Amino acid sequence: MRKAGGGFIFIILVSCLLLWTPKGDSWAQEKTVTYLSLADYTGPIAGLNVPADMGVEDYFKELNARGGVEGVKVKFIGVDTRYDVARAVSAYKRYRTETKLLVVNAISTGIGKAVGPLTARDKIVQLVPGDGEFQAKRGRVFIWGPAYQDSFAAALDWILGDWKARGKSGVPKVGFISWDNPYGKEFLRGGREYAEKIGVPLLKPEFFPPGALDHTVYLTRLATAGANYIFAGGVDPTPTNVIRDAHKLGLTKTIQFLADYWGPTEPVGVRAHPEALEGTVITSYYLRGEEAKKHPLAALWKKYRGKPYEDLNEVYPNGMVWGMDFEEGLKIALKDVGYEKLNGEAMFQAYQKLTGFKRQGITGPNAYSPTSRRGSLEIKFYRVKSAKVIPVTEWKKAPDAVSLHKF
Amino acid sequence: MTNFLQLAITGLLTGGLYAMVGAAIVLVYKSTHVVSLAHGQFLAFGAFFFYIFISVLDLPFWAAILLTFLVAAAIGLAAERFSLRPLIGQPLFSAFLMTFAIFMTMDGIFQLILKGETRTLPHFLSTETLSVGGLNIPTGGILSFGVALAMFSLLGLFFRFTKVGLGMRATAEDHQLAQSTGISVRTIFSIVWIVSALVAAVAGISLARVMDIHYPLPWIGVKGLVVALFGGLDSLPGALLAGLILGMLENLSAGYLDPLVGGGVGDVAAYVMLLLILLVKPFGLFGLKRIERI
Amino acid sequence: MLPCGVYNERYAQDMAVVRTKRHWAILLISLFLLYLFPVFDLQYFISFINYLCITFIIVLGLQVVTGFCGQVSFGQAAFMAIGAYTSAILTLKFGFSFWLALPLSGLSAGVIGLIGGAPSLRIKGFYLAMATLAIHFLIMWLIMHLEITGSTQGLHPAPPSIGGFEFDSDGKMYYIIVSVMLLMTYGAKNMMRTRLGRAFVAIRDNDLAAEVMGINLYRYKLLAFFISCFYAGIAGSLWAHWIMVVHPEQFTVLHAVWYVGMLIVGGMSLTAGAFFGVVFLRGLDELVMFSSPFLASTFPWLGTHPAASLGVTAFGLILIIFLIFEPRGIAHRWEIFKTSYRLYPFAYYYNSSSRKWDKVIFPRWDIPDYGYPS
Repeated sequence: MRKAGGGFIFIILVSCLLLWTPKGDSWAQEKTVTYLSLADYTGPIAGLNVPADMGVEDYFKELNARGGVEGVKVKFIGVDTRYDVARAVSAYKRYRTETKLLVVNAISTGIGKAVGPLTARDKIVQLVPGDGEFQAKRGRVFIWGPAYQDSFAAALDWILGDWKARGKSGVPKVGFISWDNPYGKEFLRGGREYAEKIGVPLLKPEFFPPGALDHTVYLTRLATAGANYIFAGGVDPTPTNVIRDAHKLGLTKTIQFLADYWGPTEPVGVRAHPEALEGTVITSYYLRGEEAKKHPLAALWKKYRGKPYEDLNEVYPNGMVWGMDFEEGLKIALKDVGYEKLNGEAMFQAYQKLTGFKRQGITGPNAYSPTSRRGSLEIKFYRVKSAKVIPVTEWKKAPDAVSLHKF
Repeated sequence: MTNFLQLAITGLLTGGLYAMVGAAIVLVYKSTHVVSLAHGQFLAFGAFFFYIFISVLDLPFWAAILLTFLVAAAIGLAAERFSLRPLIGQPLFSAFLMTFAIFMTMDGIFQLILKGETRTLPHFLSTETLSVGGLNIPTGGILSFGVALAMFSLLGLFFRFTKVGLGMRATAEDHQLAQSTGISVRTIFSIVWIVSALVAAVAGISLARVMDIHYPLPWIGVKGLVVALFGGLDSLPGALLAGLILGMLENLSAGYLDPLVGGGVGDVAAYVMLLLILLVKPFGLFGLKRIERI
Repeated sequence: MLPCGVYNERYAQDMAVVRTKRHWAILLISLFLLYLFPVFDLQYFISFINYLCITFIIVLGLQVVTGFCGQVSFGQAAFMAIGAYTSAILTLKFGFSFWLALPLSGLSAGVIGLIGGAPSLRIKGFYLAMATLAIHFLIMWLIMHLEITGSTQGLHPAPPSIGGFEFDSDGKMYYIIVSVMLLMTYGAKNMMRTRLGRAFVAIRDNDLAAEVMGINLYRYKLLAFFISCFYAGIAGSLWAHWIMVVHPEQFTVLHAVWYVGMLIVGGMSLTAGAFFGVVFLRGLDELVMFSSPFLASTFPWLGTHPAASLGVTAFGLILIIFLIFEPRGIAHRWEIFKTSYRLYPFAYYYNSSSRKWDKVIFPRWDIPDYGYPS
């Protein structure tokens, strides 16, 4: 027959490639378990995901180099979902047949809720950033640290303390500004009730779309309403951009800004706008700034990535915490059921026994238990001073704001 | 009242930048009758290359600007040569889709390079704010607005007094007639794309100074398109006016309507305005009405 | 071009969708294999095909309005969202069953599509594209700010069920999705050989002339939008009950762009074009996702796992290449291939429009019309 033409051959090639599904058989000789991360490496929260997943990956590399957990090695799979639910679900379905997939880290509130029913059906452990909803309705989903609303409650306590320390009487007015999506609104589901409980008036919250380039309108409204403190949500560089816009309007002189867990980090936000961020307080459940860089595990940054310490993002050691939990859980699960019978259910039981696990000091001690899905209970406050992030308090227990809200 | 003025003035300043992007699109449409969506990416890449020259390579300001112009011109030329030149003779809608495809490709590359981070430009304009009667007006913003106005006047002079400019206006009227007087229409096309890429680069640098180089930056190109449509696709003064109106409208509607509706009015305002304009006066404020024959 | 030895002797034969006995045999065997597929329990492929079928329904709708009727629409993602939300709200808040909610969500999307298509009565071409884009943003904004749609939290519809049997896995939803898809495909193909289809094509080719001929432009343009949004609504409803989560971020402008891109790459004027476009571009997306770990390790400057952005770049490049080299899409190439196969070893065919004997050389960049609507 005459030449079939490039087009036809191309179609055959594509179908061959589609049919070729690489399985985990290349690892068949060794004993492996799998950890899947549905992350966003090129979209809105890439600033957080890329260093964090670098952390987990390097932690697992180090673990495997030491021989794994009793000879069982860990395989890390990271998928770029670009914050898109459909892509995340399809990636999950693609990888759920991997050898002994035990834990799925769904790094996004929306993706976490979409993949939730699927992991529940497959009985796999799932991690999500901080939605209190998963503490209120306990299932197989674990939160990384204290819930978002708990951190907001802790911030409100700090605000009250700071207000009194400045010698002012009465109560301060607190404003809230964050992304217009489930993550942004989660803080107030419990946070609002806590503010009422301690008598701090919360101004009407402002929400802007994740891709917004300019926040002056929202900030002007909060300023006109008389805010003394503004809590800015969003994943770095968003809070940096918000505070930058506030600085341009001259608001940073009269209003104290606070950020949440994913607030300005030294290599990204603080490096970009040091003068605008001067004095900003950051709520955090993991070590930041110099404390993070001096931690022994930060040495892996130089070892595996070969980049200077100044570029170390604080989220890098935080990512390793997931690896630590996984390692500990794996140890317990292997002791309980052994490798052959190891599955998601066993890991789920193991995770609930992680109460008190120290996580090498990067966060407060682990708080997973049969009744708690919180990763830890403690919060530390940091402040940006002269382009550095320094601690201003010790580890404090965050109040329980999840129980105040009806889910 | 101060609230109104504050919102209006910041809106006006941003509107000047939108007007520049709209001008780039109008420029291309006037000569080639192709509506370009790709200019959003031109402005993002212009800003990004400026960042590389001024921050990473630490070149002096004017050298960085010059090099950025060279790179932007190269990008514009490449886009025209490799993707739009083959489409001469095809229906104009294909060319529109092609600019769309260029936008998508460059968007992918932009995301790959940026990896979700933000890059900030160093402060080459002053960062103080003037406090005039209770209003906070950033001086840097006024300077950028001035640059935008200067750019518009330069373009106006270019079209009136230079040979190339006159050639472009002739091509805009009728390709056949222009060719018959000896103007090489293909060269004009290339020049048009180069000049519009330069305008987009200037707009990109001004926008990035305010908004940082972040992944949504290229989508300002769509706002530029709204501006161009509003003002009339073949009218430069229309683009200026429409840009200013759009900037003010966004800020004012966000300021006053947000509390009533619950947020997010700012982005939708531009599109509602676009829809109304397309339904009421499809050719824009100053555009020429086209009569269609069977 | 008909196969050798096949002649159309009656009008019905000329208009038939399936022409020869061989066609019928292939069709029935393919249908049988299609329905047999889930038995093989290839989990990933079943979910991939579900995704393909839902996208196919959407692009079919887009083809009716853009490919056959010539009205460019960038709003398909928004109308799919309307269908998905209607279905979710009806089943969750009003207790409707899925089987009733499915056509109702199609109808609701269609009705809103009438409003969304109203601009087409005044403007066309590129201006209409921008207007539909604006409508997309408007609809998504409305969805994000109404309480009934759960605003930004999204909704969680339940899987469909008959009696007590729940369609909660990919394999079970496969049957519903594939059946609906087959129905809609047949509907689209059938529509095109009726009076309605001919009116659409007339409007696309020259709407002023069509109006002069007596075709009521208002009625047919709005009908085209209604039908395409009906398709999008049905697809949205299937999507909602398959993924079991409805969230505004699932229906972005990028999705609308992908659908238009699929139509262009596949071929705007043939129903097969939608199919080719969907399979090709979705397959490309999956291919990029598979190969990204490999690419990331070979080219470290790409960064970790660049799958999503590479997908967008690849999409843009493919679109550029197709617009330059094959603006008629893959379906056109397929027609050429079929013709050259049928004519082999003869190299000439009778070109009815130029009334000459032309040579078939495969592949060729500038092959003229065969007389099918294009």
